[in-house]
Amino acid sequence: MFDRQIRFDWVIVLVTLVLLAIGLMMVHSASSVLSEQKFNDPFYYAKRQLMWAVLGIVAMILAANYDYHKLRTLAPKLMIAGFLALVLVLIPGVGSNRGGSQAWLGIGSFGIQPSEFAKLALIVFLAHYLADAKDKMDSFWKGFVPPLSMALVAVLLIMLEPDLGQSVVIMGTTIILLFAAGARWRHLSSLFGAGLVAFAGLVAVAPYRMDRIVAFLDPWKYPLDEGYQIIQSLYALGSGGLIGLGLGHSQQKFLYLPEPQTDFVFSILGEELGFLGGATVLALFAVLVWRGFRCAMFARDEFGSLLAAGITGMIAVQVLINVGVVTGSIPATGITLPFISFGGSSLTLMLTGVGILLNISRQSVYAVA
Amino acid sequence: MRVTHGTIRRRLVVLLLTLIVAIGALIGRLGFIQGVQSGWLTKAAEALHNRSIPLQGVRGTIYDSTGQKLAYTASAPSVIAMPAQITDKPKTADELAKILGMQSANVLKLLQKRTLMVWINPNGRKITDAQANAIRALRLPGVYLTEEGQTVYPDGSLAASVLGITGADNQGLTGVEKEYDSILAGHPGSITLTTNARGKKMPGTGEQFIPPQAGNDIQLTINANIQQFVEREVEQAVAEYNPDHVTAIVEDPKTGAILAMANYPTFDPANWRSAPASAYNHNLAIWQTFEPGSTFKIVTLSAALQENKVNFSDSFYDPGYYEVAGHKIRCWKAGGHGSESFLNVVENSCNPGFIALGERLGKETLFSYIKKFGFGSKTGIDLPGEGNGILFKLSKVGPLELATTSFGQGVSVTPIQQVMAVGAVANGGLLMQPHVLKAILNHNTGQVIQEVQPKVVRRVISTQTATQVRQALESVVANGSGNKAYLEGYRVAGKTGTAQVAQNGHYAAGHYIVSFIGMAPANNPKVVVYIAIDHPRPKAGVVFGGVIAAPIVGRIIFDTLQYEGVPYDFNGLAKKYRWGDIPNIAVPNFVGMTIGDAQKTAIESSAQLQTQVLGTGKYVVAQSPPANTKVPPGTTVRLYLGDKAPAP
Repeated sequence: MFDRQIRFDWVIVLVTLVLLAIGLMMVHSASSVLSEQKFNDPFYYAKRQLMWAVLGIVAMILAANYDYHKLRTLAPKLMIAGFLALVLVLIPGVGSNRGGSQAWLGIGSFGIQPSEFAKLALIVFLAHYLADAKDKMDSFWKGFVPPLSMALVAVLLIMLEPDLGQSVVIMGTTIILLFAAGARWRHLSSLFGAGLVAFAGLVAVAPYRMDRIVAFLDPWKYPLDEGYQIIQSLYALGSGGLIGLGLGHSQQKFLYLPEPQTDFVFSILGEELGFLGGATVLALFAVLVWRGFRCAMFARDEFGSLLAAGITGMIAVQVLINVGVVTGSIPATGITLPFISFGGSSLTLMLTGVGILLNISRQSVYAVA
Repeated sequence: MRVTHGTIRRRLVVLLLTLIVAIGALIGRLGFIQGVQSGWLTKAAEALHNRSIPLQGVRGTIYDSTGQKLAYTASAPSVIAMPAQITDKPKTADELAKILGMQSANVLKLLQKRTLMVWINPNGRKITDAQANAIRALRLPGVYLTEEGQTVYPDGSLAASVLGITGADNQGLTGVEKEYDSILAGHPGSITLTTNARGKKMPGTGEQFIPPQAGNDIQLTINANIQQFVEREVEQAVAEYNPDHVTAIVEDPKTGAILAMANYPTFDPANWRSAPASAYNHNLAIWQTFEPGSTFKIVTLSAALQENKVNFSDSFYDPGYYEVAGHKIRCWKAGGHGSESFLNVVENSCNPGFIALGERLGKETLFSYIKKFGFGSKTGIDLPGEGNGILFKLSKVGPLELATTSFGQGVSVTPIQQVMAVGAVANGGLLMQPHVLKAILNHNTGQVIQEVQPKVVRRVISTQTATQVRQALESVVANGSGNKAYLEGYRVAGKTGTAQVAQNGHYAAGHYIVSFIGMAPANNPKVVVYIAIDHPRPKAGVVFGGVIAAPIVGRIIFDTLQYEGVPYDFNGLAKKYRWGDIPNIAVPNFVGMTIGDAQKTAIESSAQLQTQVLGTGKYVVAQSPPANTKVPPGTTVRLYLGDKAPAP
């Protein structure tokens, strides 16, 4: 279906599909006990994930064949649509609340998360904006603050759901984009200072965040409350050892680890496939990050570079946060592991992002040369 | 500065490297968890997944020396609940509470605990078979029955303080139960299930059954029959004299084996929780320390004979006191015993005579014998909670301390120390280490695993000296203050003791510990028997000290030797046979005393006289025979009471 003369970065395609396959397998294995218990169907989650994966691959193919430059004209509209969705989801009756977060639009189990869409829209918009702001980057107010403000509006709306994980990913991705676009060090460090102040404020407003932080430092102090998930995750990883208990042989998925198919799917992966499996998945992500940035470096223009860096940065940030939480390396923050975790919106939009990446690579100077 | 495409490229490289390093760090972290920490995390996870139902190992049986069961374990069902598996907690709590006779709310509280497993304490432990069947019939999810051992005592409180008690988890708390806990305790087993987080069994996993193992049995040197004689006598003494405490020990002097040991107050080991803590916490026979009084004179006598400081035929004059460092230390007998031989000194328990022996020995020699006899240090008996006793520090011993020590005041000793010291005299001079364990047996086969061998601590005196001391002590029983222990047909040797109890640095008025230590047959003792009665309160009003403890020991010796089939021997000292002067007893003066003072004087005298109290009133107005009349032992003194004290 692709023209032989057009050079996609096939490594990206291959790595993505391998990760997707591992993800489907792990979602099924991790969720089988829970879905059997909840829905009397061990394939409940796996079937849905497969459906979303197919949808996502279609979206990826479409995006890969859609000239990314056209996104520049769409960028403001996408951003507005993203904000609208983030506002809509907060309206009771329109958005629905699951697990304490007002984060879903839609009916029944086929809800979508506007935050996932807004995240991608923001990356497109920031790449668009920053590509033209080369002359303004010396100015804090003209070059640095406007794109940051857009991100902060999105974060503010998402924190109203609240969804700390998405907010952190958006801030991380924004910082990567600003840095790539040539933001000044002093601007970035002032952002860092402001971030500390904001963090202190957030902890003061919702003290449960402090508990989460304490739990990460010493989960065994709160074995039944804040530390519970981390302990269960560490038990899973530790039991896995070097080679794992074997696919399907997790014991922690027997309701010890809550919702093992989403944010903590990597624990079950580590338990069943061991360090070898876990390290392989991380290595695949490292390859993806490398190819993504390679794509950014050889993009035909700055918009392409920044867009590729933004999408790759988002994937990298989510991997770091997700695996960081699962291994008890950072405070608990709910975010999906790209391509692996169960979650329709996340998966579809991730694959769409990869499609955009592929289109950038297809038009790269390297490819033309 | 304009941002060039070069800037963007450089920044992209920085970002790429940073992110790759971060992913690399996560791989490292993962390796640490799954490599270094894997071991204990796996164990912790298994502990989480595995639910064990504990199965108790049967605790070993305790036998007496003849193979009779003193304490054995009968198993009883107990209720265990796994809260996670219980679907309807209030209903389950109601059902259990009804059967177990508990408050439903209390059971519910247990079932709501966020633990893997709870015992339904206290009523759910060691329940009846009927209760167990009722619970089994309900088939309550998450409720299990296991077997727990319960100690049964076929003879009730017999030898309670030796056996000791066991706690709720069948752990030994006192007595041999504690001393030999590691031998008696079984190894617990379990049934282990692998479960999901709701406590339900994981599919595809089996049950792991680790069978419990029974502990070993132990056989004691305690003989249930002799123990019964002793406890019968203790009970009688309690009924007659209403004392605070009574302690009795029977020892085989040749081996150091304890054949019986009893205390009052005692307790029922099956229901020890309802007894006062003082009854089961301390075994008085090895823990209580007090002044031994005259029984300690055996030590002084043995030392003096061994060191050739005295011959029995040597004469001594007792004016009723002995002057030491300017103090007159008085004999128990007002007016003194006058001129007497040293054998009479022993028979009469004459304090000045013993002070003289102490002076002849000197403090170093006397104290070295005291220590050699085992006083001042633990005997090493295989029972927990033994006391040390207290001796004067040698550097602090002046003439006064030497004098009081030589007749048994100012030292503090335990009953078991006295028994072992006198045991050394009985067996020909060897201090033995006392023991109550005879053998360790296999619970299932009854085979002997280990047998306890007699252990000699040291030689204290020569065989000849020991024989001489026994002769003197036989004479004490035949002719002297111990004659109430005399048995026709068995040669009893022994010594009375009356000690005052010090409270707050003074001797408490009217509080005596009356004791007797005896052995038989005197030429080759098979048993040493000791009894101490703390604060006797005789109903008769006035009882001489020599008549309280000595007859009890006599009866115990008689029953024990009869039981052991020791043949009669009529070759001993005849009761009226005199080996030297015939010392008639001088009747003390009671006229003018209150009945209480009369009581005190009588107990202190340790003389062998009977009393008959006539009339009513506070004071003794007359007595017959009058004071200082010399009468043979066993004479009855009549005391006439009235309300007015006669003019002196």
